[in-house]
Amino acid sequence: MSLGTLDRTPPPIFKQGPSALSKLILFSALALFLMVADSRFQLTQPLRAVLATALYPVQWLALQPMRIWREAGDYFITAEQARKQLEAASNLLATQTIRSSQVEQLTIENSRLRKLLDLREQLKIDSVAADVLYDAADPYTRKVIIGKGMSQGIVLGSPVIDEFGVLGQVTLVHPLVSEVTLIIDRDLAIPVLNVRTGVRSLAFGDAAGGGGLELRFMGSNSDVQQGDLLTTSGVDGVYPPGLPVATIDRIERRAESAFARIHCLPLALVSGARHVMVLQPQSAQIPPRPAEAAVVAPPKKGGRP
Amino acid sequence: MIMRNGQQLLLPASPVFIWCSLLVALLLDMLPLGRTPWMPDFLALVLVFWNVHQPLRIGIGFAFMFGLGVDVHQSSLLGQHALSYTTLSFFATMIHRRLLWFSVPSQAVQVLPLFLAAHLVELVIRLINGNMFPGWTFLLAPMLEALLWPVVSVILLVPQRRAPDPDENRPL
Repeated sequence: MSLGTLDRTPPPIFKQGPSALSKLILFSALALFLMVADSRFQLTQPLRAVLATALYPVQWLALQPMRIWREAGDYFITAEQARKQLEAASNLLATQTIRSSQVEQLTIENSRLRKLLDLREQLKIDSVAADVLYDAADPYTRKVIIGKGMSQGIVLGSPVIDEFGVLGQVTLVHPLVSEVTLIIDRDLAIPVLNVRTGVRSLAFGDAAGGGGLELRFMGSNSDVQQGDLLTTSGVDGVYPPGLPVATIDRIERRAESAFARIHCLPLALVSGARHVMVLQPQSAQIPPRPAEAAVVAPPKKGGRP
Repeated sequence: MIMRNGQQLLLPASPVFIWCSLLVALLLDMLPLGRTPWMPDFLALVLVFWNVHQPLRIGIGFAFMFGLGVDVHQSSLLGQHALSYTTLSFFATMIHRRLLWFSVPSQAVQVLPLFLAAHLVELVIRLINGNMFPGWTFLLAPMLEALLWPVVSVILLVPQRRAPDPDENRPL
């Protein structure tokens, strides 16, 4: 009972429960245990799934004002804007028509060449469309939450793309929603291929949180130029090859360092994507590693050859 | 009853109202406003308020549970907000007898260190865990929370300030 408040029952005199300090120690220990279990051993996934499902109605309610605002904005879009968008879309379509008419022919040619070279057929990619519910409010990481989860067949580790390029990777799957870590998160690395030179490297999220990517471990004399397109290289067994990732924005070559600092800009709309595609990770389709050839026993002396 | 001079005797707090206010604060925290490190944490504010005003109803255990909920929503490390809210709630329980002897603006000054401590706990956990630094604007969050203390004190005490015997002149 607090100061100056009338209560219907008197406050207990003797039965006070455990002291605040003991509660603090208990719950802090529990929180520390959960943090260690979460970050080191990944044990907390069931608890997270239960809590996420319980929180889903509240989250849905919190999303409604934004959805109504968006829909109202879409409704009151002016004719001028609609005309401009139509024009841009038809321009895009015209440029894509040329490319797509070539695709048929290129696919046939590619398959013939592959047969000629006796290479494996290109992997087929299954995908699920999803919409972005919200940016995770956590200011320490770069994640978005999408509205499809385990019940719609989302698998942990799936690559996520939007209409311009690779957006990120699914890092946590709840029953109804999933978390996508964006490629600009500092903990996410993506293997890329420089289209101009064909050099493979790794792009990491910007450590300073500036919303870009960094191409690490490239020698200061390596052949990179401003504006080079980086696509996925497909060597990781997660991302299908050939998806655009980023363009090189800035190169700093310093005399005292053996490596160049290469700053890239993501092509996907990392801060404004609304509709995304979740692809099946390729590792599910890659055949298992062939078994090691059995060690041939050395022939015994005097035995038959 | 010993009371501060000029303070109104308040009606009993309704548990339904307490829980509704906590849920509304949770909703406000969940509004999809993007990454804004300076955004005040409404849930922490309301939790501290009820910890100070109704320590027997809303204690450290509930703060812990709400913290877990926020962790899951923000998809941050599980237990991070739980620890920060537990700390916050502990200090609020420690000062609750003293705090209500002061006027509301000086209460706001006294709860500022609590919110600062809670945000620093979060920052230290994240930096230990190797996440990025969110920028200095995160220091604005505790300030804004302390500034909102008088507002919350008015809004959340309204149902307890109603007339004990409503009549035609005072219908509420």
